[in-house]
Amino acid sequence: MKQETVLEVKNLQTYFYSSEGVAKAVDGVSFTLQKGETLGIVGESGCGKSMTSLSLLRLVPSPPGKIINGEILLNNTDILKLSDEELRKIRGNKISMIFQEPMTSLNPVLSVGEQIAESIRLHQGLSRKEAWQKAVDMIRLVGIPAPEKRAKQEPYQLSGGMRQRIMIAMALACTPDVLIADEPTTALDVTIQAQIIDIIQNLQKQLGMSIIFITHDLGVVAEICDKIAVMYAGQVVEEGTTESLFEKPLHPYTNGLIQSLPKLYEDQEELSTIHGTVPSPYNYPIGCRYAERCPFATDLCREQQPELLTVEQGKKVRCWMYSNEWQGETLMKELTV
Amino acid sequence: MTLFILKRLAQIIPVTLGVTLVVFLIMQMIPGDPAIILAGEGASQETVAELRENLGLNKPLAVQYTDYIKNLLQGDMGNSLKNNQPVFEEITSRLPITIELAFYSILITIVLGLIAGIISAIRPYSLMDVGLMVVALLGISLPSFWLGILLMYVFSVQLHWLPVAGWDSAKHIILPAVTLGAGGAAIVARMTRSSMLEVVNQDYIRTAKAKGLKGYIIILKHALRNALIPVITVVGLQFGSLLGGTVLVESVFAVNGLGRMIVDAIRTRDIPVVQGGVLVASLIFVFINLFVDILYRFFNKRMDLN
Amino acid sequence: MNKVTTTIDHSVLVNARKASRKKNLVSFLNKIKKNKAAVVGGIIILLYILMFLIGPILAPYDPYDVQLDQKLQGPSVEHLMGTDDKGRDILSRILYGSRLSIGVGISAVLFGGTIGTFLGLIAGYYGRWVDSIISRILDIMLAFPGILLALAIVSALGPSLINVTIAVGFFSIPMFARIVRGSTMEVKKLEYIDAVKTLGANDMTILFKHIFPNILSPIIVQASMRLATAILSAAGLSFLGLGAQPPSPEWGAMLSNGRDFLFTAPYMALFPGIMISILVLGFNLFGDGLRDALDPRMKN
Repeated sequence: MKQETVLEVKNLQTYFYSSEGVAKAVDGVSFTLQKGETLGIVGESGCGKSMTSLSLLRLVPSPPGKIINGEILLNNTDILKLSDEELRKIRGNKISMIFQEPMTSLNPVLSVGEQIAESIRLHQGLSRKEAWQKAVDMIRLVGIPAPEKRAKQEPYQLSGGMRQRIMIAMALACTPDVLIADEPTTALDVTIQAQIIDIIQNLQKQLGMSIIFITHDLGVVAEICDKIAVMYAGQVVEEGTTESLFEKPLHPYTNGLIQSLPKLYEDQEELSTIHGTVPSPYNYPIGCRYAERCPFATDLCREQQPELLTVEQGKKVRCWMYSNEWQGETLMKELTV
Repeated sequence: MTLFILKRLAQIIPVTLGVTLVVFLIMQMIPGDPAIILAGEGASQETVAELRENLGLNKPLAVQYTDYIKNLLQGDMGNSLKNNQPVFEEITSRLPITIELAFYSILITIVLGLIAGIISAIRPYSLMDVGLMVVALLGISLPSFWLGILLMYVFSVQLHWLPVAGWDSAKHIILPAVTLGAGGAAIVARMTRSSMLEVVNQDYIRTAKAKGLKGYIIILKHALRNALIPVITVVGLQFGSLLGGTVLVESVFAVNGLGRMIVDAIRTRDIPVVQGGVLVASLIFVFINLFVDILYRFFNKRMDLN
Repeated sequence: MNKVTTTIDHSVLVNARKASRKKNLVSFLNKIKKNKAAVVGGIIILLYILMFLIGPILAPYDPYDVQLDQKLQGPSVEHLMGTDDKGRDILSRILYGSRLSIGVGISAVLFGGTIGTFLGLIAGYYGRWVDSIISRILDIMLAFPGILLALAIVSALGPSLINVTIAVGFFSIPMFARIVRGSTMEVKKLEYIDAVKTLGANDMTILFKHIFPNILSPIIVQASMRLATAILSAAGLSFLGLGAQPPSPEWGAMLSNGRDFLFTAPYMALFPGIMISILVLGFNLFGDGLRDALDPRMKN
């Protein structure tokens, strides 16, 4: 199956500078995205997944934050090297983004139709009338009834689910190659969540775009992602197809995450948790960042940081256990969930 | 919306009445018998008694008040004690001047204030921003009457560019209008800046950037429209200090407006004129407030329903 | 089953509240220290308070001493701020006048603030018709633009510094009352108040021992803002000739006097104006800093 690489991120590093020091929010993240593929980026709050997505469009708030290193190749053009003018042509056009809070992400004083149409006018050069018509079509496409009426309304007149649909319509109006969805369902009711995910999937099939789906919800990821990257403390610690990740997680953290999902068909006296807390981004440990919480950690883990190794075709893991230098327990490698 | 307007109009009535009552009562506080003051020293007891009867001072207070209201509704505010001219005419001759002054002052307040505020907000903590905010801080700290004197000294006395006082030509308007408008411009500038800074950090601005919109469009179309909403309230509030400020500024620049009329009348104890002037100024203020309220409500209906 | 009885002492609640307030106070003071504007403003205010207290002692000359042969001299070594049209040393007049100008402001704010706070507490706490009446009265008082209310009062009572104090105090009432009313209504809703009520505290106790200490911070911010306005208004009224009468060295009156000599001796008007401006500047800086420190959204 011939796959085309649409987006390639290499060694992305985004740091935040403040009076408290340097926070290494994104510290050497790499991944690739193929055409038509859905990549999920999962991790706890603070692991750097949102910052990674903001970095892709260079939307990192720039006094404290700065992308200090890396390459973001969109069809072989490095986004980090583009001028402001060229960058603007990509935003909303080749790469679009939808955010977590539809309530605050839409401008309260403009009609939703206008917010969609202005993007179309800008990137596709259509006239006001044509752009408006297209905006109405997009609203219809995301499943909102009476789109002509809705287009004239302002965000406060719509429900949360509808607002998120408008965000999707806005993001897809110019048929981007890549859609970045930063926790699009987290702020919504569970029933609405399912609808939104449906819409995204349908539109993906229709428009043939790639999606980067960021979330902390493993359930959602299992449903719609082809490939998953697990992030911890600013780094990717495991990468693989959805199936293999759930079937046989390699990294102890991934395993811990999956274990902590409540099981429906087993009696559980206690829910399983991962002890400890995430290290502060101002003060990462020298060695493996997960060593503190890892039941298998050895001295090697605490002293040196592991690289992201390719274990099999398409499976990568950042853990000493899978390296030749490993001298600790090998239980993990043989565990199945 | 119309319901709101009607409701507010209804609310105005007790306030308006209250204002007339307060003005009336305050004037009653004046020590001394007005009849004696009017009649002058050495007037006979009969003259004074007659005068009291004529002025209706023997009637109970409540009746005096209702008489007062009745007269007001007919436009009769009594006569000036100084020159016996109807107060109403004194006021109507001076009011347009004050309104003109107020108009230009508000223009300065809004235009200067908005521009300064927007420029500061675009590049926060830059030299421009800090400079403008320091000037704004001075603007709200300098007493208006001193600022007027200062400007008068620099531009009239030293540079001879502008006339010292009076109200005959366009040049005469500049210094008083700037003096009166400066304080408000400073407040508007500060408010606009802080409002813009807050808006610029909102999620929807991030969305606008993510769509690839051009910078000036984001500022003008997306940010400003939201940021200006609280600024409207501030401008509305400025009307109060503006009207009050005309009293001081008109005195400094010898402008023949309502404010100066009131001050002169106080000095000469010309009570009917003071009464009439304060009343008219307050009523104008009440209606301006109503108007600003409605305007704010109009822009804000989307906020309320959120 | 064990029956557990606990006696909740009234004072336990009060002490707990006091402890949390103390903690808030310490962190609050730290925040102010960090804010440069507030510190500068605070220093300015302290300097003026110093002047208020010992100014007259430092004055080199008698502020009322008329020396016509010395009149209208520019600033020199003997007269640092020059002399006015009656030969009086301006610096001395400024120092003495600080007591008047600042004193009027403080008195007016105390007067207006006390009454306003009282009205606000009652309106906010009892609500309903008490609130309606008081709010209506406040609306009427606020219907007078700027200093017009004070002007009207002074016009009735006659020009004097005391009357100006009363008038300015009067027109400060609504500002305090509004803020206090709002804060009281918020605090009233706290569960803490319900707890105290169930312990049988009466209304007066609740109002003064429990609600009032919790609304102190907005009152203080408001007081510092109003102090600046009060001093300005009093100076303004004096400037118009309605307040301090000559030969009083009140700063507004000095400005009014100096205006007539703008061509020949501009420093007569310059110095009192500067003194007023810097004081108001100090209050504004301090008030800005206070507001930032009290702002629950910590901006960094």
